[in-house]
This record gives sequence, C-alpha cells and structure tokens, in this order.
Amino acid sequence: MAERIGVYVCKCGPNIGDKIDVDVIVNDVNSIKNVATAKSHNLLCSEDGIKFLKSEIEKEKLSRVVIAACTPKMYEQKFMKACEEAGLNPYLMQMTNIREQCAWVTPDKTAATEKARSFVIAAINRVLLQEPIEKKEIDIQPDVLVVGGGVAGMEATLTLAQKGRKVYLVDKSPCIGGLGARFEEVYQTMECAPCMLAPEMQDILQKENIETLTHSEIEDVVGSYGNFSVKIRKKARYVSEEACIGCGACFEPCPVEISNEFDEGLSKRKAIYLPFAGALPNVPVIDKDNCKKLKGEECNACEQACPFGAINFGDEDKIIEKQVGAIILATGSMLFDPKSIPTLGYGKFDNVLTGLQLERLNASNGPTSGKILLKNGKEPKSIAFIYCVGRKEKGYCSGVCCMYSVKLAHLLRDKLPDVKIYNFYTDLCLPKKEHQRLYNEAVDKGAKFIRSDGTENVTRVGKNLVVQYKTDSTKKKVSVDMVVLASAVEPDESTEKIAKLLDIPLDEQGFFSEEHVLMKPFGTPLEGVFIAGSCQGPKDIADAVAQGGAAAGRILSKLIPGEKLELEPKVAEIDEDLCSGCSTCITLCPYSATHRDEEKKIAVVDDALCRGCGTCVAACPTGAARAKHFTKEQIFAEIKGVAK
Amino acid sequence: MKDDKLTIVSFLCNWCSYEGADKAGNARLNYPANVRVVRVMCSGRVDPEFVIQAFKEGASGVLILGCHPGDCHYKKGNYKTLRRIYLLKRTLEGFGIEPERVRLDWVAAGEGERFAKVANEMVKTIEKLGPLELSEV
Repeated sequence: MAERIGVYVCKCGPNIGDKIDVDVIVNDVNSIKNVATAKSHNLLCSEDGIKFLKSEIEKEKLSRVVIAACTPKMYEQKFMKACEEAGLNPYLMQMTNIREQCAWVTPDKTAATEKARSFVIAAINRVLLQEPIEKKEIDIQPDVLVVGGGVAGMEATLTLAQKGRKVYLVDKSPCIGGLGARFEEVYQTMECAPCMLAPEMQDILQKENIETLTHSEIEDVVGSYGNFSVKIRKKARYVSEEACIGCGACFEPCPVEISNEFDEGLSKRKAIYLPFAGALPNVPVIDKDNCKKLKGEECNACEQACPFGAINFGDEDKIIEKQVGAIILATGSMLFDPKSIPTLGYGKFDNVLTGLQLERLNASNGPTSGKILLKNGKEPKSIAFIYCVGRKEKGYCSGVCCMYSVKLAHLLRDKLPDVKIYNFYTDLCLPKKEHQRLYNEAVDKGAKFIRSDGTENVTRVGKNLVVQYKTDSTKKKVSVDMVVLASAVEPDESTEKIAKLLDIPLDEQGFFSEEHVLMKPFGTPLEGVFIAGSCQGPKDIADAVAQGGAAAGRILSKLIPGEKLELEPKVAEIDEDLCSGCSTCITLCPYSATHRDEEKKIAVVDDALCRGCGTCVAACPTGAARAKHFTKEQIFAEIKGVAK
Repeated sequence: MKDDKLTIVSFLCNWCSYEGADKAGNARLNYPANVRVVRVMCSGRVDPEFVIQAFKEGASGVLILGCHPGDCHYKKGNYKTLRRIYLLKRTLEGFGIEPERVRLDWVAAGEGERFAKVANEMVKTIEKLGPLELSEV
C-alpha cells in the first residue's frame, strides 16, 4: 500500500507565521511523492490543533505524519499521544523544529523559508523510513534500598515503607540517625534533635517491612531500574543483635580505651561500645582493630560480663544479597578538616574546636554531658567563632555554617550568660525565612558580629588564644578562651567509592552529580538510582528531609507493586547475521547493556539496560548494531534533506 | 546563491546542544540560515559515515556538538566521539579535505550564546574555505 504522509506546518501565531512563508512550504511539499496532504495551522498545539491533527489522520487515512513547529522539547509528547489516539503508531510521526532553530534565529524571511523547507523535506525523507515501535514493559521488584540512615535516608525509608513496601536501610555506622542525631538542638526551632529524631528511628527499627542493616556497606550492584541485585557486606558486630538487650554491662570491664570518633575525639570509648548514649539500635559493636581478643591477646572481659551470652567472638562478615527495584543514596557529608589551614591552630592548640566538636560538648549525650568546658575543666569566658573555614579551599559556600554558628552562639549565651562571643565573618549566609530573625536574636543576646577580611590567625599567648583579624583595613586582635571553626561541609568519605561502584558521576566538588541540577536534583544519570540529603551538596535538615521525601515520591509513582515498568523504546538492537562478535560495542557501552552470547558468539543488547545513546551503533564495524528510531538510513535521509 | 553551496550540517545531541540551539532561538540570537540541524540522541551516535555522507550530499562543513566533557547525558558518549572525530579528521586530510570542515565542540543546554557563537564561527571558517568540491578529490 502506498504511503500517505500528512505534513502540518504550524504558524505558531505570528512566531512562525510572520518569519517564514508557510504557504510556500505547504505548496512546495504538496507535490512530493507520498505526501497525501500538506496544510498549515495557526496553532497546532492548541486543543483545536490537536483535534484537527487527529481528524486529519483519520480522514486522510495517513500512514505517517510530519509536524513542522516548535522544538520537540515542547510538545513532541503531546503530538505523539494525538497520533496514538488517532490510531497511528507515534514513532511514525516526525517533528521538525522551524521555530527555535529557524524562525527565531533567521531575520531574513526568504532565508528562513528556505531553511524551514529543507527541514520539512528532511523530515519527509526521514519519516518514510521510520518504523513503528511498540511499548516494552518489564516486571519489577518493588522493594527499595536506602543507603545512609541520616535524616534524608530516614525520611525516604519511612515514606516508602508506609504502605507495607519492603525497604532495606543500610548504614555503615553501628547506628542510624546520621549527623543530626549527634546535635543537641537544631536551628531554626532550637528543638532537641534526639527528641525530634527518636520517634522516627524507633519507627524504622520497629516496622516489620523495614530491614535495617547497620555496620554494613554496599559492595556490588548490578541490574537496572526495576531490577537491581545488590550485595551488602554486613560487618561482624561480634555482639548478637538477637541476644543483646543493650544493658551496657560489657563497657566497664573492657580494658581498651581509645578516642571516640562519634564525639569527634573529645571522649574515650572502649573497644566494645555504643557510638553515644541513646544510639539506635541499642546494640554495642566490637571494634575489631582495637579489641584485645580479636587481635589475638588474652581477654574476654566483655564476654564474662554479659549476662545474656550475647558476645560472639566467632562472628564473621556476611554478604547479603537483596533484589530491589530502586536505590536511594543518602550517604551524607562530613566537615572539612581545618588542619589543612595551619594558621587557625586546629590540632595544634587546645580549645580550638570545629563546630561539630562544640555540638558534641553541647550535647547531653556528649563527652561533658552538655557542659561547655575547656580542656582544663573550666567554663570559657570568651569564645571566638571563625566563619567560612574551608570555603576558599573547597570553592563553594556550604550554606549551613553561618546558621549553625549563629545557633551555637544562641545556645552558648543561654548556658553561659556572661560568655563573650565574637563572630568573625566575611559574608553571612542567612537565606531562609527564619534565619535573619535568629541572627538578630543572637545579636540582641549580645553576640558580637565582626566583619573581617577572612585572614584570621590564631596563636597562643600564655593560657589564652589570640585571634588576630583585619577589619576596616585595621589589624586588631582579641584574646579568648575558646575558638570555634565553622568548617565547610564536604562529601562523606564513602562517596567516591559508591560512585565507582554504581558508575555514577561526581560533580566538581565531589558530591553525587544530579540528573539535572534544577529539575531533577534528587535523580542521578543512572535511572532508578536517586540521591537525597547532603551527599548531593551541603544542606540543612529541612532540605535534606524534603529531598528524601522527593526521591521516595519519585519511586512510589513509578515502581508500583503488580505493575510493569515502561522501558526506553528507542534502544539499540543487534542483527545476529551481521554481528562478527568483535565485542567493540561491549567495551563502549556506558551502561553495560551489551553482553556476549558465548554460544552464538555474538553481542546481545539488554533492553532493560540500554538507554539508546547509539554509541555502540556508531562504532559497530559491520553495521550489525542498529539504533531504533535513529538508524543510519533514517539519518542519511535527513542529511539528504538538510544538506542541499 | 552563495549560501546554497555552503551548507553546514550540524549534528546536535538531544540533551545539551540541541537545547543550546533552542536557547539561541529563545534569545532571538542570529546565525546564518545555512546552518542546518540533524538531531541525534548523543554525539556518540555520530558515525564518521554521517560526516562523509553530509559532504557527499553537498554540505561544505559539518558541525558536531555534544555535551561538555563530563556532562554527557550518557556518561561518556562525547569522549567516544572525540576520539572518532580526531581520527576522521586525519583521514579526511589524507583525501585532501581540510580538517577544519569538521568541527567538534561542546555546547551545554543553557548555552544559547555559545551555540550562536560556534555556528557563526563555523560559517566564517567555511566561507573562507569555500564550497567543498568533492569531484576534485
């Protein structure tokens, strides 16, 4: 049967109509072979336009359609749907862009018309070679893996788990709660963070459809959206999670004392320990690098002390395999180490702390049970905050350090009403609706804010710390008891490893790179893998929670139990007869979507993994690889139209 | 008409450069009408054959634009093109076709101005070289 092509040129009101002689094009193409009809329309994307298009397809019995209008980025989907509704496979429609890439960039009407004509002819050439493509759907696994149990990961987990969906929450640390659980009060409500987070943590640990794997890390991920297979290393805890009731009888007898990383080195912990009082799950862990017994020495103090026989020195790492449909990475961030700026005295002088160390001093479950004390056990009379530590080095503003410092200034004035507080800043970042008020209140409470040039220098004179600074071009100094450095936020140390494992990109700053920085800040370029919280970039609790919810929402709307997942239809395919089995395509594929069929000695494309970039097609030496909807023949036909 | 002989076929990747070209339109920037567009999903889809075919069909220049290195929607397609086009240019030179007739560059989705700049530059380059007379080769 002869092909019947309908060509529709949209005037887009005056946008195209005034810049291109649409009638000339319509007249010219009407006589081309296989063109059944060519017409113009004032606004094809309008309700009237869509109705017109549908009736044309039916009335003219069209087998193919060309639409010359705006960029396909605007309404291609709409026109495809109209074709489908009129009984035409949507891949038998070709759009060509005569607005953004012609009418709007070509002031001369004759030249614009000539260019548009070549575009329309190219589309007619191409559409004749286009093939119908049927939708492809796959069965999915609705379970989800969340990596990182901080505020973002917890929000995602709870959102996903609401209706009984299985969620695996993996955290590399022995407890969940992330950085947030280590703060006493958080801005902007000055709420007690452990009180705020405890119900969420309890919920996670108690919900039957949430499996929490702490002290665990992901080791391998294969598969694609809908069907990932994940290997998780559950590190030996040496304490049975079933037998332990969390009484803590094992801590005291342990003879080992080492610096507690969860208190930022401000306290000591035993080799068998809980990160901090109230950490959940309330099951200690034995640090195998420091435990005497596990290093081969004589000791079983904890084993003897445990009334429930929960200690198990024979425990081993376990590799757990889970099948999930999607993955959310919420691996968080850490603070920039100020040691790399020697002039600030961090690590050199006592009482020079990072913001997070002061958080721990302020925390009732911290090293001093919430008392703000100097190394000598006395209360400080004066404290200097230095802002923007690491901003220059990292090359970005972390956006939260000003606020956590302002918050700490508040809390310090409440706890130590006479303490003098000096805040040295170059720029203040107070972006949200409550932040300015909090800053104003800190000023009202007597905290001093001094704008300096960012060249603060900390030295020790006698027992005191001296901060030298420059303000209004004058060098000044102030003597204080304590210096707090508002360190920048940087990606967690696990970020790079996880990115490699999943083969997803990092941005210039080392955070996970978004699918789109503005429109899809919770997606990654790998479909089915989402990011939430400060692993995407520094952010406060509210933003992290919002992102966790957004990522979960994306999954809930697409990964529906019992329903299938629609795949990218424009994938690559390999002609068995032409494939020489050279494996060029396999080495080039960025998604590992091609593999070798050893029996047939040819390459095979996995439709679920292929994203349709066509890189393999361009490289195939025998022409066996073919890109659906972007075949060589189709592109050659288009070239023929535009090159003349 | 002079322009007729000096067509430039541009292969634009769907995600960055095609959008960049749209942005040039949104900003009503001007570039000559002999810059013609073929959309591909990724610059990595651009087979050297496409370039040769464009010349055979009468183009005097070929522009291949992709996402900036590191920004490829498909992770690394643009790097593959980079290598391929480098090789192609050397081959073309061997056949007496000036390598400047083929330009591979990067235009991000937001870079309307950059698209217009690259398009204008390419037109100037090709105008200097004149039409490609394949029969002489």
